[in-house]
Amino acid sequence: MQFALPPRKTPIAPPYARSSRFSLQRRKQFKAVAILSFALLVVFFLLSQLFYTSTGTAAVPVGTPDVVIVTVLDRVRFSEGYTQKIVKNREDYAKRHGYTNFFANLSDYETTLGDAPKSWAVVPAVRHAMASHPYSQYFFHLDAHALIMNPIKSLDSHVLEKSRLESLMRKDVPVVPPDSIIKTFSHIQPQDVDIIITTDNEDMSPGSFVLRQGEFAKFFLDFWFDPLYRTYNFAKAETHVLDHIVQWHPTILARLALIPQRVINAYSKDSSAAGADGTYKEGDFVIRFVGCDTDTKRNCEKEMDPFYRSWVGKTKIE
Amino acid sequence: MSLSRSPSPHPAGGGWTSPGLTPGSGSSTPHSGFLTPNPLGASGISWAAAKAKSDEVRGYPSFSTRNSGFFSRSRRQLSATLPSFRLGSGSPNGYVDKDEFGRGRHISPATGWRFGFGRSLLRRRRSRLFFTLILLLVGYLFFGGSIIQNYRRSPLGGGRKFVIILESNIEGGVMEWKGAREWALERNSVWNKNRYANEWGYEVEVVNMLAKKRYSHEWRESWEKVDLIRETMRKHPEAEWFWWLDLNTWIMEYSYSLQEHLFDRLDEIVYRDISVYNPLNITHPPREVYLDEVSRSPNGDGDASSIQLLLSQDCGGFNLGSFFIKRSLWSDRLLDSWWDPVMYEQKHMEWEHKEQDALEYLYETQPWVRNQVAFLPQRYINSFPPGACGNENDPTVHYQEADRDFIVNMAGCQFGRDCWAEMYQYREYSKQLNKTWWDRMKERLNGYYEKFYPAEQEEQEQ
Repeated sequence: MQFALPPRKTPIAPPYARSSRFSLQRRKQFKAVAILSFALLVVFFLLSQLFYTSTGTAAVPVGTPDVVIVTVLDRVRFSEGYTQKIVKNREDYAKRHGYTNFFANLSDYETTLGDAPKSWAVVPAVRHAMASHPYSQYFFHLDAHALIMNPIKSLDSHVLEKSRLESLMRKDVPVVPPDSIIKTFSHIQPQDVDIIITTDNEDMSPGSFVLRQGEFAKFFLDFWFDPLYRTYNFAKAETHVLDHIVQWHPTILARLALIPQRVINAYSKDSSAAGADGTYKEGDFVIRFVGCDTDTKRNCEKEMDPFYRSWVGKTKIE
Repeated sequence: MSLSRSPSPHPAGGGWTSPGLTPGSGSSTPHSGFLTPNPLGASGISWAAAKAKSDEVRGYPSFSTRNSGFFSRSRRQLSATLPSFRLGSGSPNGYVDKDEFGRGRHISPATGWRFGFGRSLLRRRRSRLFFTLILLLVGYLFFGGSIIQNYRRSPLGGGRKFVIILESNIEGGVMEWKGAREWALERNSVWNKNRYANEWGYEVEVVNMLAKKRYSHEWRESWEKVDLIRETMRKHPEAEWFWWLDLNTWIMEYSYSLQEHLFDRLDEIVYRDISVYNPLNITHPPREVYLDEVSRSPNGDGDASSIQLLLSQDCGGFNLGSFFIKRSLWSDRLLDSWWDPVMYEQKHMEWEHKEQDALEYLYETQPWVRNQVAFLPQRYINSFPPGACGNENDPTVHYQEADRDFIVNMAGCQFGRDCWAEMYQYREYSKQLNKTWWDRMKERLNGYYEKFYPAEQEEQEQ
C-alpha cells in the first residue's frame, strides 16, 4: 500500500523546527566529540612516540670508538720488550683512526680454559672486549704475533665499508680449503655480514677476523667455545672447531664473509700454510708470523724484528 | 535508492501528512493508555499492528532522500525516538508546545486520532525493535560461532600468531605396531587439539614422527623434533609462536586462550632465574668475567619481549612435552645448534632423553641461550597426572581440579602406565567440567522427564 509520507513524521511527532534545532545541537555535539577524539588520538600518538624513543636503544656515548682491536698477550712466555713492540704498533694504529685497543692477558682465562690449548683464549678475549666496550661496533681480533704494516689504511675503508666489503667478499667458494662441499652463500649481502674472516691454505684462520657486536656475536663465540669442542682433541683446537661449526651450522655460514687472505691476514715468508697469494708483500695491511710460537725452531722476536724496524722507519718519515 | 513516492514537501523531511493515509488513522480507538506495553491485551493484534509489521518486513521503503547525508539520516533515526516521551510526559501535564499547538489547529479532530497514531507508532517501533532482536538472536545462534571464529582467525583477532605442532605416529612404521588403543589415542589427541585450535583460530600442524632411516643412521632419533619445528615455521610464515605438544597430552580447558592464559601476562607468570626451581642444579647466573652484564645477571634483561623459548621444568629438569618457541633469529640459531655431530658423538650414551638433554646442556654451557629462555611454573602448560613425578598429589606438579588446569601431559605413560586409559579419563573429565548451558539444560530436562514419567506410570497403575 502506498502512503504519501513516512507516517512518523506527523505533526504530533516532534515538530520539525524543534527537531531541526535538536539536530543542530546534535551536530555540534558530534563535531565536538570528533574534534576531541581526534585531539586525544594525536596526544596518545605523540606520547607513545615519546615513550618509544625513551625506551629504545640507549644512545651511544660520544667518543665511543667504532672499532676495537683485540689482542691476547702472553706476558709470561714472551719478553716484555717483545710485548711492548706489539702494543706500540697497535696503539699507534688505533690513535690514527680513533680506534681503541683491548689487550687481554692470557693468564686471565687460564682457569676457564683448564686443560684445553692456550690458543682457545681468543674466544673469551673477544667476548670480554665486547662486554667492556658495549657500544663499539666492530671487534678486530689480531693475533699477538703480527704487525700492522700499513697503518694509513683504516679498517673502515679497507674492509668494512659496504661497497668495499661487497667487492671483497668471496661467494660460492669452499669455506674450508681446498674442496669442502660447503660453500659460502652466493646471495649474502654486506649488511648481513657479522663476521669477516679469511682462509689460508688449510683452514679458516681465526688469527685475524672482524666480528660485529650483537646477538650473533654472542651466539657465535659461546657456541665456538663449547666445552665439548674444547675437550674433543681437535688437532688444531679452536681452528678446527671453527672449520667444523662453519660447515655444520648454516646460521653461522649465513653471516660470514670470506675475503682474500692478504687483505687482513698476510703470512710472513716463514709461515707455513699461506694460501695462494697469501704471503706478505710490501704495502699489505698486516703481517702475521704464524706458528712462530709453536714451532720450536722458530723465534718470534727475531722474525718480527726486521719488520718492526721497517715500521718504525715508516712512521718516522711520516 | 529509488523513490517510490513523492518526497515530503517539508525541507527537513517530514512533519505534515494527510491523516487519511497514515496506517493507524483508520482503526484507531480512543485509547488513552498508549503507555501500556500492549493496549490490545496479550494477544492483541490490530490491523494496524499487522500493517506496521508487514510494512517492516518490506523494509523501509520510502524516505525522503533529499537530505541523505549522515547527519540528517541519523538525526531522523534519533529524533524518531523522541515523540513518545514527549507525548507521554507532555500531554498529561497539560503542557503543549507552541509549535505543536499551532499545528494542532490544522488537524483539529486530533485527540483520538493522535492517541491512536501515537500508539501505533509506539507499537511499530517496539515491534521493529523486537524483530531486530529476534534477527540478531537467530543470527547469533546460527552464525555467531563462525563469526567469532573467523574474527579470531583473522589478522585482527591474533589467532594466526599461534601454531600448535602435535607429534603423531611416534616411531610409526617399522619400529612399533599400532594397536587399537594407539589408534584411539592418536585420533582423540588430534581431535582435542583441533577442537581447541578451532575455538581460538589457531593452526594445528600434525607432524609425523615416523622412524626414518636417516635419523637412526646418524644417531638422531627423536631429533626430528628440531627439523619438524623448522619445517612448520616455514609452512606458516605469518605465525609467531609455535607450541610443541606431545601426543600424550590433553587440553582440558577449551575456554583458555593462549593470549589470555599466557602471553598477555608473561611478565607476571614466568621466571627467568632458574634458581627459583632448579632440579638440575645448574649454576646460575654464569659468573665468568669475560661475559657481558646481561649474560651475568640472573634475570637476563628482564624484558618479557626478549623471551623466545618458553618451557616448564618437571622434577627431572626441562620438559619438552609442551613448550613454546618464537620465530626469531635466536630460535633459528638454537634449532641449528641443538644437534651437532661432535657433541652428540661424545654424549649420545649419556643423553638418555636426547634432544631434551641436549637443550639442558646448551642452556648450561652456552650463556647466549639463557637470556631468551623463560620458565613457566609447570601447571600453566604441563600438568602431570599422578604417577608422573611421584604418586602423591604435589600441587606444583600434578593436575589440580579446583584450579581448572589448562592441559595435562601424561608424561611417561608409555613406561608401565596405560596411556589410553589416562587420556580417556581426562577426556571425560574435561567434558564434564566444560558442560555448556545447553548440555546442562538437556540433562536437567532429562532428569525432569524421568522424574515425571515414572510418576505417570504409577498413576496409570493405580
